[in-house]
Amino acid sequence: MSSFKKGLIVTLILVFISPIFGVILADMVGYHEPLDIAGEVLNRPDWTENFNWTPFLDYTVPGLPSEVGYIIAGFIGIGVILIIGLIINRMVKKNQK
Amino acid sequence: MHLPDGFLDIVTCVITYIVFLLYGAYALRKIRTSETTERISIVSILAAGIFAAQTFNWPLPGGTSLHFVGGALAAIMIGPWLGFLSMFSVLFVQCLVFYDGGITTLGANVLNMAIIDVLVGYLIYRIFIKIFGAKDSVRITSAFLGGWLGITLAGAACGLEIGYSSSFPYGFTITLPVMVGWHAVLGIIEGLITALTISYITRKAPQLLYSEVGEEK
Repeated sequence: MSSFKKGLIVTLILVFISPIFGVILADMVGYHEPLDIAGEVLNRPDWTENFNWTPFLDYTVPGLPSEVGYIIAGFIGIGVILIIGLIINRMVKKNQK
Repeated sequence: MHLPDGFLDIVTCVITYIVFLLYGAYALRKIRTSETTERISIVSILAAGIFAAQTFNWPLPGGTSLHFVGGALAAIMIGPWLGFLSMFSVLFVQCLVFYDGGITTLGANVLNMAIIDVLVGYLIYRIFIKIFGAKDSVRITSAFLGGWLGITLAGAACGLEIGYSSSFPYGFTITLPVMVGWHAVLGIIEGLITALTISYITRKAPQLLYSEVGEEK
C-alpha cells in the first residue's frame, strides 16, 4: 500500500474518533478556546458572530448534531486540503515541463 | 494559539502579513525549483493528517485545552519549505472554511505556526543529528526538543504580537511570560507526539524522513 493511502486511512480514522475529544469531552469540561476566554474576560468584542462568512463555523454543520457535524466538517476540511494539494501539484508539474 | 480577529491592531496585522507573504513567495520558489510532484503529494496527505490531529482538542479541567500543532513534525518529515506549505494549507482551510483563526490575523497565525514552529523544529532536529549522529536515541530526543521548543517559541511570538498590538490592553511584559509559560508546558505533549511519530516513521518508512535523506537542495 502506498504512503498516500496509508496516510489517508489513518487520517480518516482520526476524523471518525475526533468528536470524542472535540465535542463530548470538551462539553464535559466546558471548554472554550483559551484566547476566546481571554477576550471575554477583557470585554473584547467578539468578531466571530458578527463577521462570520461560513456555515461551518467552529467545525459545525447546520442542522446536524454536534458530533456528526464535527465528523462531516473533518471530511470537508480534508477534502479542501487535498484539492489545494492537487492544484499545487499541477502548478509544479507545469512549471517543471 | 489561533489568534482570532480583533486581537491585533492594523499595524501588527500588516507587518505579519508582509512577513508571511515574503516568506511564502520564497518558499514557493524553492518548492517549484527543487521539489518533485511525488513529494508534493505527501504534503497534502500530511496536511490532512495534521488537520485531523488538530481537531483532537484534549480538554483540561478548568475549561481550557491543548491540541497538537504539528509544525515541527511536518518540517522533520518533509523539510522546511514543504513543511511551511503543509502548515499553511491547514491554517488557510481552518480560517476560511471554519473561521478558526481570524482573517486579519492569518498572517500572524502563519508566522507563528507555519514559519517559526516549522523552522525551529527543523533546525533543532538537523543540528542534533549533525552533531550526535543519526541514532534512534538522538532522533527521539531531537524530535522531542524540536516539537517542544518549536511550539514554545511560536507561543512566544504570539505573546509578542498580542503584547505589541494596541488592540490588546496588556503589554508584552505580561503577555509574553503567560504565552511562553503556558506553551512550554503544553509543548511537552507536542514534543512527545512528534518524537513518537518520528520514531515510528524511522522504523516503518525511513525514506519519508527528509531531514536525514533529503539534505539541503
